[in-house]
Amino acid sequence: MAVILIVEDDVFTREIAEVMIQDWGHHTLSASDVDEALILLRSSQHIDALFTDIYLKTAVLGGCEVANQAIKLRPKLRVLYTTGNSITDKMKALLAEGTHFLPKPYTQHQLHDSVEDLLAAKI
Amino acid sequence: MSDIAPGEKAVSDIAASDIVETIPSALIILDRNLNITSANRAFYQTFRTSSSETEGCHIYELGNRQWDIPALRTLLESVIPHRASVEGFEVEHDFPTIGRRTMLVNARKIFRPGNHEGSILLAIEDVSEERAARAESKRNWQLTQSIVDTIRDPLVVLEQDMTIVTASKAFFTIFGITEGEARGLRFSELGQHQWDVPALRHLMEKVLPENKPIESFEIEDNFPGLGRRVFNLNARKIFQAGNHVTRMLLVFEDITDRKQRERDALSLTNEISHRIKNNLQVIVGLIAYEARSTALPCVQGYNAMQARIGAIAQLYDLISQSSRGRAIAMDAYLREIAKTMSGSLLGNTSGIKIEVKAEALDIDPDRAVPFGLLVNELATNAIKHAFPDGTGRVVLSVGQVGDQIELTVADDGVGMKDKDSAKIPEKRGSDYVAIFVRQLGGTIAPSVSEETGTIVRIRFPFLLVPPGGSERVAA
Repeated sequence: MAVILIVEDDVFTREIAEVMIQDWGHHTLSASDVDEALILLRSSQHIDALFTDIYLKTAVLGGCEVANQAIKLRPKLRVLYTTGNSITDKMKALLAEGTHFLPKPYTQHQLHDSVEDLLAAKI
Repeated sequence: MSDIAPGEKAVSDIAASDIVETIPSALIILDRNLNITSANRAFYQTFRTSSSETEGCHIYELGNRQWDIPALRTLLESVIPHRASVEGFEVEHDFPTIGRRTMLVNARKIFRPGNHEGSILLAIEDVSEERAARAESKRNWQLTQSIVDTIRDPLVVLEQDMTIVTASKAFFTIFGITEGEARGLRFSELGQHQWDVPALRHLMEKVLPENKPIESFEIEDNFPGLGRRVFNLNARKIFQAGNHVTRMLLVFEDITDRKQRERDALSLTNEISHRIKNNLQVIVGLIAYEARSTALPCVQGYNAMQARIGAIAQLYDLISQSSRGRAIAMDAYLREIAKTMSGSLLGNTSGIKIEVKAEALDIDPDRAVPFGLLVNELATNAIKHAFPDGTGRVVLSVGQVGDQIELTVADDGVGMKDKDSAKIPEKRGSDYVAIFVRQLGGTIAPSVSEETGTIVRIRFPFLLVPPGGSERVAA
């Protein structure tokens, strides 16, 4: 069982993702913006992986900012990004090295495979 | 006493006269009174006269006074008396026998032993054609420069060493330099060295030696006095037939406004695409939530629904890279659909693979959705029914056949037995297929079942892309 922090500004999408991930036996934490995510990341809470939306309402590239800060705070943290935008080369350059990406809309099967790949990947 | 014997002197004189007769310049010798004492063959030929008409005649009287030219008078009466020689004296005149000519006259005083008064040797070269060519070249240059000056885009002409030869007024205005400052300046030294870009330098170095033009090299930077600008550069070799000098014409097109409009449009499209896909995510999430509490036989239906939504969502990735009204690249679209289906229906560990073999063809945005959904239905059917052992290959193909597009979905599975033909594709899927084919304006060929699998072919009209909207959008 892993602990996964979900950063997603859309409440419904975030909660559905939480339910799915919990169904697979994992524990979830959730945040709707950069500040909430950083509070959890700076805490002593054990976190194995971060699943974050790149575009957050309060910050255009908020997910990138969260991931970059998170990796500084927890170098061994695994990161899975998602976005509804087309992923351009410019955007790829903003993603932290060794991280994973899942485009929206994703199904439960795609999320499952991405999460399992993420947790199985070598750091 | 002279060292030369009388016989040897005669030989020398003969040799000199031979030389005089063979040189191409017209030569005449005048005495101190400007009477012609002799002339060579080139003179007679050039001025269409003879020795009998010429020798002994005063230079001004020759040929109905056609040599009574003010400029020649100046040379003979004012310049020669004070100088031993004159070179490159240019005389332009209308000669009644040969028309208007430009003559280059070299004059030299010569003295022979015993003749203290001396003679004048005039060497006359007809440079009319050379001068006319030079004048023509000057007129051409002026014409070129005036054309260059009227073009609104900045133009610059460069030597092989990349120094500036000339430029248009727009160029001087944009770069805030004068013609004098620009001439001889290296292109890389312009402005604040913004143009000293390795990739551009590499291309420019090939223009002249390899006659390789530069087409649409884009450069964006801050330019003094202009602010941030985007220029499109085009360059090509220019040369004139018969002239060994080659130069480079470099044209700067200011595309700042156009780029901004494109960026605005792209930004808006991306924003719309982002919102749509987030909404589709909510729908996919709703289906996923429903599927959790649904009996297993129904889950396949929910999965199929999610795949259909995925096929529509992929389209927005392609549309977001285009602007309104442009065509969608079917090959790229097929690859995206295949990727989504592999992820949603098959997963990483599946033994079933989806491949794409597609020609570079376009489809209009209006038919892109039914096309994507059609592919999704046919491929889903193949995945569900063709591989009972869980391994196999589905190939999605698109190609042009005459004036139609043919979509083929083929598998190497178990194939359809006759009794199953009515059932496959499934009733609902079959209904969807029929609807989407109608939307495409196409026809469906009967499924061909072979030992090695099943092939479904659908043909639909090629051209529904609006005229002028043929720019392809690739993934």
